[in-house]
Amino acid sequence: MPENNTLLEVNNLETHFFMREGIVRAVDGVSFTVARGRTLGLLGESGCGKSVTGFSILRLVRSPGKIVNGEILLHKAGANGNQVTNLVTLPPTGEEIRQIRGADIAMVFQEPMTSLDPVYTVGDQIMEAIIYHQQVSKREARERAIEILRRVNMPNPEQIVDRYPHQLSGGMRQRAMIAMALSCRPRLLIADEPTTALDVTTEAQILELMNELKREMNMSMLFITHNLGVIAEMADDVIVMYLGKVVEQADVRSLFHQPKHPYTQALLQSTPKIGRKSRARLQSIEGMVPPAHSIPSGCPFHPRCPAFMPGVCDVTRPELRETGAGHRVSCFLYEQADTTPVPNPAPSYRRNA
Amino acid sequence: MENGQPAAILEVRDLKKYFPMTRGLLRRVVGQVKAVDGVSFSVPKGKTLGLVGESGCGKTTTGHCLMGGIEPTGGEILFHDKERGPINLVGVDKATRHHVRRNMQMIFQDPNASLNPRMTLLEIVGEPLIVNKVARGKEVEDRVARLLRLVGLSPDYMRRFPHAFSGGQRQRIVIARALALNPEFIVADEPVSALDVSIQAQTLNLLQDLQEQFHLSYLFIAHDLSVVEHVSDAVAVMYVGKLVEMAEAEELYLSPKHPYTEALLSGVPRPDPDAEKKRITLTGEVPSPANPPSGCYFHPRCQYAQGICAQETPALREVTPGHFAACHFADTLTLRGVD
Repeated sequence: MPENNTLLEVNNLETHFFMREGIVRAVDGVSFTVARGRTLGLLGESGCGKSVTGFSILRLVRSPGKIVNGEILLHKAGANGNQVTNLVTLPPTGEEIRQIRGADIAMVFQEPMTSLDPVYTVGDQIMEAIIYHQQVSKREARERAIEILRRVNMPNPEQIVDRYPHQLSGGMRQRAMIAMALSCRPRLLIADEPTTALDVTTEAQILELMNELKREMNMSMLFITHNLGVIAEMADDVIVMYLGKVVEQADVRSLFHQPKHPYTQALLQSTPKIGRKSRARLQSIEGMVPPAHSIPSGCPFHPRCPAFMPGVCDVTRPELRETGAGHRVSCFLYEQADTTPVPNPAPSYRRNA
Repeated sequence: MENGQPAAILEVRDLKKYFPMTRGLLRRVVGQVKAVDGVSFSVPKGKTLGLVGESGCGKTTTGHCLMGGIEPTGGEILFHDKERGPINLVGVDKATRHHVRRNMQMIFQDPNASLNPRMTLLEIVGEPLIVNKVARGKEVEDRVARLLRLVGLSPDYMRRFPHAFSGGQRQRIVIARALALNPEFIVADEPVSALDVSIQAQTLNLLQDLQEQFHLSYLFIAHDLSVVEHVSDAVAVMYVGKLVEMAEAEELYLSPKHPYTEALLSGVPRPDPDAEKKRITLTGEVPSPANPPSGCYFHPRCQYAQGICAQETPALREVTPGHFAACHFADTLTLRGVD
């Protein structure tokens, strides 16, 4: 990996929650890199650890959660070469991480109503970040806040800046959130399901806006979602998570055209596709995601997997292995790949196809 | 309204629900929120009508009007009862409503909010049987066991409480309860939108299986256009309290006749990274039904709008056989569907 093109490197991250029921391994050995100017999609169902991964990067994981292992390396191109900060070693309430939050890495959350403060105006909340990070006067911060609101296509930014969150519609609140996140020109934007709470036409507007701003600011994005359509639209590379582990990693086209992991394949097949009218039954994944504190042995997907191999999948944990250029998958179906590469494995293992 | 089509189980004509806006100490009525404003459609027996639209368009209010949760301001809701023939549910007396309600049931969006956490599955699913004096004592248990098996849950769980189940399983409990009285017609209001992708597929399959098995008719209310296309025979699109388009599902998706439908369809993110992105990005927001624009409600956001659109409200009319649209230019515009 060319060193200078990496912005964020997550190595073997483990974030665990120490609960009464036992230890919940919400993030269990996750590694990935976010390159400059690219979007990494993080795909998974609820409870797979995708949001906790985002929170871990900003060190926002609260007790009983704790990062127990791994490193999160933020690469900074400084005057004297490349500086690397390991975010895991920073105290979560310290000055250093506060300098990074908002300025280098910003986050947009799913529910704009719960992440905006109802007793401050939109402008106050955007100005707070600007004043904290950029030592400017209040007047100038206000001007910058209006400017950034205009940039996210907010109608009448001069008036909206003095409004309270409850006076805005859902789409406008999400625009305000994005404006706040982008106000200090971060190099990495973590977007956690930013359009899930929005309507179709508003979602389209917001996705387009985010792509535009990413190009304009040469920003990287970590885009967390469960929606395959949104991933296809936004991401350059994708990692698929299941129960705290990465099960597949590929560029977006390989992932959609040649999904390798049975879980990814099942996800793709279980989504109804628009424009393909058929009353055929959807391929569904059997069973459900097991509770987080009792993760199955071996491969965590084996109880639901159509290609389950008894004696293999329920005993050992598959490693994430490279099966093609940049395409990595953790599944025993592809284990021989490191000795003899299997070109295009035939999907004949699907028992109930 | 037969003309070769399968008989309708439900016909809605010019349904209206206005909520008054009041102001001041005396609660003076200063205006009307036209949540549902002259909606007409019919649901054929054994078929599914999908009702799509964005939040605030009135689709849920329509569902509640059908179920009697909200008393409509005007219009007709004709339910074709197998025993008593067509019954108009608007302004109906209590006894008749009670009779009809056995044949009409509702599935709600959020299974957590629609299940009482202090009742066991047996009590939840058995309650309609007891209230309607369909079964009692041991018989309730047998019926509940059968219903749970029908939706893919083990009857062993009968004495557990909803919190012991996952979201997908809870939605199955809601479905089992809706089926308890052998209804003919079910209003499903966003039944899968709170569920994960893999669980969504299971639930949609279950609803489809049950429809075949019991010849159920559905009004399927949702905002997810891919899900609606998958389950529906016909689809109606709502915008600010009015229907703007209605047609067979395939016809509507492949050749929409209303610019709003076109924009909606183009806005759905496709799970295909190579899909051509010819998105129509609408400007502005959905207007409030308290203060809708003049003429066609969609005209301020419509890229094809002309002078007449701001002045005259277009009526929903049959543009081609079976395809209804409320647009002045439905005959002349060539709109792009999904391909």
